[in-house]
Amino acid sequence: MRTLAALSIAGAVLMTVSLGAQTRLGGNIRANPPTGPVPRLADGKPDMTGVWLGGLPVGDISTALPKGETMPIRSEWKKKMDAFQANDDPQAHCLPLPPPRFTPYPWRMVVTPTHVFFLYEMYDYRQVFTDGRKHPSGDDLDPTWKGHSIGSWEGDTLVIDTVGYNDKTWFDNKGWPHSDKMHLIERYTRTDLGTLRVEMTIDDPVAYTKPFTVTGAARLMPKDELIEYVCDENNQDAPYLQGAKP
Amino acid sequence: MKIIAAIVLAGAAAITWVAPLHAHHSFAAQYDATRHVELKGVVTRVEWTNPHARFYVDEKSERGEVTSWNFEMASPNVLVRNGWKRTTLTIGDQVTVTGYLARTGPPSGPKMAIAESLTAADGRKLFASTAQDLTR
Repeated sequence: MRTLAALSIAGAVLMTVSLGAQTRLGGNIRANPPTGPVPRLADGKPDMTGVWLGGLPVGDISTALPKGETMPIRSEWKKKMDAFQANDDPQAHCLPLPPPRFTPYPWRMVVTPTHVFFLYEMYDYRQVFTDGRKHPSGDDLDPTWKGHSIGSWEGDTLVIDTVGYNDKTWFDNKGWPHSDKMHLIERYTRTDLGTLRVEMTIDDPVAYTKPFTVTGAARLMPKDELIEYVCDENNQDAPYLQGAKP
Repeated sequence: MKIIAAIVLAGAAAITWVAPLHAHHSFAAQYDATRHVELKGVVTRVEWTNPHARFYVDEKSERGEVTSWNFEMASPNVLVRNGWKRTTLTIGDQVTVTGYLARTGPPSGPKMAIAESLTAADGRKLFASTAQDLTR
């Protein structure tokens, strides 16, 4: 009976929150994703537009490797990683957290005929060109936090190819690093109404001995909207982070 | 009966997905899990800001000495998704707080800590953050 009462209270709280979400921003972060067929655009491609939560593990992406595999990191890069301090995490300084790093907050995908935009509640946006252009080459490719992304469709899967990274971002809270030679291939497949399969292949011959692939899933947050998150406004923590990363 | 069933189902759904609620920095790098604090006091300021909301509490000892505290909570986006409004906690509210002390902090001013649980004088238990999430 106690369990029933506890569940009832939890349910009542949820109902209040979800009713409130109709006018206020913010939905029920714990709700199960909806089920149903994959929505499609007029041209027949899957419509991935929506607010999603999740993707790959926030804490340690090596847990998203195929069973039995380990991160093929080169020893000198593992030493570099082991020396990271908590205060070295770009996240602690409100700096960008591009894939393969994911955040605990929702993000929205917007698909247009020429671009795909990722709007991340936590800090940032990304643009992906789907108009057929190629990556810039040579001096035209500037190293940036989010790189240069081009996208194309393989059947029902959106494939995003990115190069031109700087070497300042981490893959997760644990701090798996990469070089500025990283080539990332992201594959997004909407497997049903509420689920987006995420597969990422990381090819970084400088920091890793071979390419590796991590997989996960995001779930649809159908009643949610992005909420403003201006990280820099009152970041009192950064000066007081001590010691090694978790 | 239908309503009860719906509520129970909603409750069951609530425990199916365990959502990560906290981000931005590691718990262990800033707070000391062995230094638990529990106090009663009056809210003197609320900062509805990112990357963390904060509330400040003045705790008065029996001898009348006042200790000021700066408690970190989750970010407003997380608090809102857990039922909060900006006005849920206001200046003058009597609160009971538990949490963990920061390993270090500013040399002067309120003591830094992170809230673990927060109860208003009228008995409202308010979602705070929190520490358990940071330790995962």
